[in-house]
Amino acid sequence: MDLNLLAQLTVSGVVVGSSYALLGVSFGIIYATTKIFHLAHAVSFAAAAYGAVWASSSLGLGFALALVVGLVVGLAFGVMIELVFYRPMRNKDATLLSIFLVSLGISVAFPNLLQLAFGPDNRTLERPGNPIYELGPVTITRVDVIGTVLIWLLIAAVTTFIVKTRFGRSITAMRTNPVMAEAVGIDSKRVFTVVFVIGSALVAVASLIQTSKGVATPNMGLQPTLIGFIAAFLGGIGSLWGAALGGLALGLLSSWSALWLQVDYGPVVVFGVMFLILLVRPQGLLGKAAV
Amino acid sequence: MSYYADIGITILILMTLAVSLNLLLGYAGRVSMAHAIFFGIGGFTAARLTLPTKEELGGVATSGLQTGAGWSWVWALVVAIVVAFLAALLISLPAVRLVRGEYLILLTLAFQLVANQLMGVLKNVTGGPFGLSGIPSMTIGDKVLFLPEEVFWVFLVAAVVSIAICWGLGESPFGRLLKGLREHDTAVASVGKNPVVPELLAFSISAAIAGGVGALAAFYYGSVVPSNYTLTFSILIVSVVVLGGIGNLTGTVVGAIILGLLEPMLRKWFGDGAIPWQAVIYGAALVLMMRIRPQGLIPEGKGLIRRRRGRRPEAEVPTEAEALERLSHRDDGADTSAALGMPIVEVHDLQKSFGGLKAVNGATFTLEQGKVTALIGPNGAGKTTIFNMICGSIEADTGTVRLRGEDVTGEAPYKMARRGLARSFQDVRVCQRLSALDNVAMGVPDQPGERVSQLILRPLRTRRVEQEVRAKALDCLALLGIASQADVLVSDLSYGDQKLVAIARLLATGCDVLLLDEPTSGVDPASVEKVIAGIGRLRALGHTVCLVEHSVHFVQRLADRAVFLDQGTVIAEGTVDELMNRRELAELYFGT
Repeated sequence: MDLNLLAQLTVSGVVVGSSYALLGVSFGIIYATTKIFHLAHAVSFAAAAYGAVWASSSLGLGFALALVVGLVVGLAFGVMIELVFYRPMRNKDATLLSIFLVSLGISVAFPNLLQLAFGPDNRTLERPGNPIYELGPVTITRVDVIGTVLIWLLIAAVTTFIVKTRFGRSITAMRTNPVMAEAVGIDSKRVFTVVFVIGSALVAVASLIQTSKGVATPNMGLQPTLIGFIAAFLGGIGSLWGAALGGLALGLLSSWSALWLQVDYGPVVVFGVMFLILLVRPQGLLGKAAV
Repeated sequence: MSYYADIGITILILMTLAVSLNLLLGYAGRVSMAHAIFFGIGGFTAARLTLPTKEELGGVATSGLQTGAGWSWVWALVVAIVVAFLAALLISLPAVRLVRGEYLILLTLAFQLVANQLMGVLKNVTGGPFGLSGIPSMTIGDKVLFLPEEVFWVFLVAAVVSIAICWGLGESPFGRLLKGLREHDTAVASVGKNPVVPELLAFSISAAIAGGVGALAAFYYGSVVPSNYTLTFSILIVSVVVLGGIGNLTGTVVGAIILGLLEPMLRKWFGDGAIPWQAVIYGAALVLMMRIRPQGLIPEGKGLIRRRRGRRPEAEVPTEAEALERLSHRDDGADTSAALGMPIVEVHDLQKSFGGLKAVNGATFTLEQGKVTALIGPNGAGKTTIFNMICGSIEADTGTVRLRGEDVTGEAPYKMARRGLARSFQDVRVCQRLSALDNVAMGVPDQPGERVSQLILRPLRTRRVEQEVRAKALDCLALLGIASQADVLVSDLSYGDQKLVAIARLLATGCDVLLLDEPTSGVDPASVEKVIAGIGRLRALGHTVCLVEHSVHFVQRLADRAVFLDQGTVIAEGTVDELMNRRELAELYFGT
C-alpha cells in the first residue's frame, strides 16, 4: 500500500469527515429533539450559501461580511420553517408523516425558486486566495485547516451548552421524555425554537465552509442533509458526540474507499454503509436498543 | 395527434406509479422515497433483455452499439416485474427486524440515492451516465407499436390493470389488514396476524408495478437513462398521491392528470424557462395540501362507490340469542365441558426487571378452563407486565408459561394468538378509521382473503369466505349488543362501545383463552353493564377469561377466582369474597 497516498486520503478524510460531523450534529439535534425528519434542512444549507453570494455580488460586501449575511440568512430560513410551517401543524396534532411531507414539499420547491431567482448556473463567492500548505507528502488548504478547527470548536461548544447549562438540560429533557418535561414546566415551543436556531446555524456554517472553497448551486442542500442524517443515525439518535464521530467515520471511510474503488463510488460507500447499518444495527452504532 | 398521445402516455405512467405507491402510502401508511428506482430497475432490466445480441448485430462488437439478450418484450416485461418485486423484498429486509416508521423513509431515501448513483457508475450493466439506447419497440404480431397514439393504448391497459390490482388488494381483507397495521400493529398481532409480512408484500407489489411500467416506458422511449430515475421523480410521485388524497385511488388518478398536465402546459404557455415552476408548484401543493386539507382532494373512503355508514336497522342485525347459538357451535366439535376447571394456562415463577426495578418477582398461578380469573392488586403490582409476558410482547427474565401443558414462553404475540391465547389492551387499540365490523372481522383467523396469492388464484373462494367472515364478525358484535353500530366508524363510537368492539374482536379470534386488560377503565356506567354482560357470554361460550381490573364491584360480580398480587408476587388465591374478607388484603388493596 502506498503510505503517502494513505496519509493524504486520511487528511482529506478528516476534512470531509469534519464537515459531515457538523452536518450530523446539526441534523441530529433537531431530529432527536423534535422527532421531525427535517428534510428542509437542505433549504437552510442552500439559503446560507446564496445569502453570502448575494451579499457579495449584489451588495458588494466583503468576504467576511458576506459570510455573516449567509449565516443569518441560513439561520433565518431554518427558524422560519419551524415557526411558519411545523409549529402550526403540531398545534393541530398533525402526524409526523404529514409534517415530513410538508418538509419534503419545501425542499422540492426551494431549489427551484433559487434557480428562478439566480439562474441554474454555479455561483462563486468572491473570496481571498486559498493557499496550499505542504506537510511532507500531504497537502492541505488554508480553508480546510480553518474550517476543520472551527467545526470541532463549534461541536464542543454546542455539546458543552447542552450538558452544562440549565437550558441545555431542558433540551435533553425534552428529547428523552417530552410529556414529563412539559409537566415540570419546560416550554416546548421555546426549546424547539432554540434547537432550530442551533441546528440551522450549524448547517449554515457547514454550507459556508463548502462555499468558501467551491460553488453554490440551487440543488446543493439535499445531499449534505442526507449525509447529516446518516451521520446522526450512525452515531445513534440523541447522542451529539455520536453524530459527530459518525460523520467523521463516514468521511474517512468514503475517502479511504478511493484506495480500492473509483472516485465515483464515494457516495455509494456512504449510503451503502448506512444501508448495512440499518440491516444489522437499526438503533445506530452507539445507540441503545429500543425497549 | 402524436403530441397529445405523448402527453397522455406521460400522464398514464405517472398515474400508474402513483396508484401503486398509494397502495403502500394509503393503505399501509408507509412512505417510499425510492419509487423512481423501481421504475428504473424495470427499465434497465427490460432494456438489457430486449436489446439485440452480439450475433444479431453481425457478430462484430462495435463499440457504439449496446447488446442484450434479444428477448421478446413480453418476457422482458414479466422478468422486469419480478426483478423489481425481488429488489423491493430485499431492501425491505430491515423491516423484518421491526425497523418502522421514519426508518422506511430513511432506508428508501438511501436506496434511492445509492441506486441512482450506481446506475451511473456500473457501466457494464447500465451503460453509465448516458444509459442504454436502441431498445426495440413493442410488437404485436407483425405490427410494430411505434407511434405514440398506438403505444398509448398499451399504457392505458397497464394503468387500468394496475388500478384494478391496487383497488382489489386495498379493498380486500388484505387491505383491511394493512389499514389495521397502519394504526395498531401490536393489536393486529395480538389477534394472531403476522404484523410484518403484509407490509413487506404491499411494498414489493407496489415496486413490482413500478417495475412493469418502467419496462413499458423503456420500450416506448427506446432508451433508459439514470437521470430519469432521480429523487426528484420519486418526490413527484409522492406529491401526486398526497395531492389526490392518501388512500384514495380516484384522487390519485385526478392528481396524476393535474400534475401530469402541468409540465406541457408550462412549456407551451411560458416556454422552457418556466420548467422550474413545475417543482415549485409540486412543493407548494404538498405544503398546502398538508396544511389545509391533509386528507387530499378526495379523502379516503369517498369516491365512486358510496359506503354505508351509520346505524343498521335492528331488523337487519342478528339477535343476541341467534348469535350465541351460532357462535357456540364450535368448528372442531370438541366438547369442552368435561375439561371445565382443568388448568389450561400455567404460569410458573415469572420474573421481570426493568433496570433496577423488579416489576414481577416469581409470579406463579394457573388459569382454569372455562373460568373467569381476575388478577387484582394495588397499582404497580405487576399485573399488566404479567399479561405482557404471557402473550409474549415482552420477554421474561426467567420462568415459564405453559398453554395446555406445552411450553410457550416467549412466543411472539401473533403466534400465541394462533395457539389460542389472545389479549385486549387497556388503551383499547381499535382502529379508528375502520368500521366496527371491519375491526372485528380482522380478528377472524385463517382468512384466505388476507393472502395475496389466494386473492389472485381463488378470487371466488376468498369472496365467499369474506361473506362468512363478515357474518361471524356481525355475530360477535351482536353478542356484545352493538351489532347495530357495525357500520359506524370506530372514531365515532363512545369509548365504552370501543371497548366492546375490542372484546368482540377477541371473540372473533376463536381463541380459548382471552386476556382482558382493564376492560372497564374509563367507561361510563351504562357501558360497564354491557361489558359485564359481554364477559358473561364469553364464559357461557366456554372461553377461559383472565382479566386485570381495579373495580372490586366488577370483579365480585364476574370472577370465579382471583389471584392477588403485590410487588410482583402472588400473595393469595381464591374466590373474590374469600380474598376480600381477609383484612390484610383489603387494606393492601384499598390502602388505609
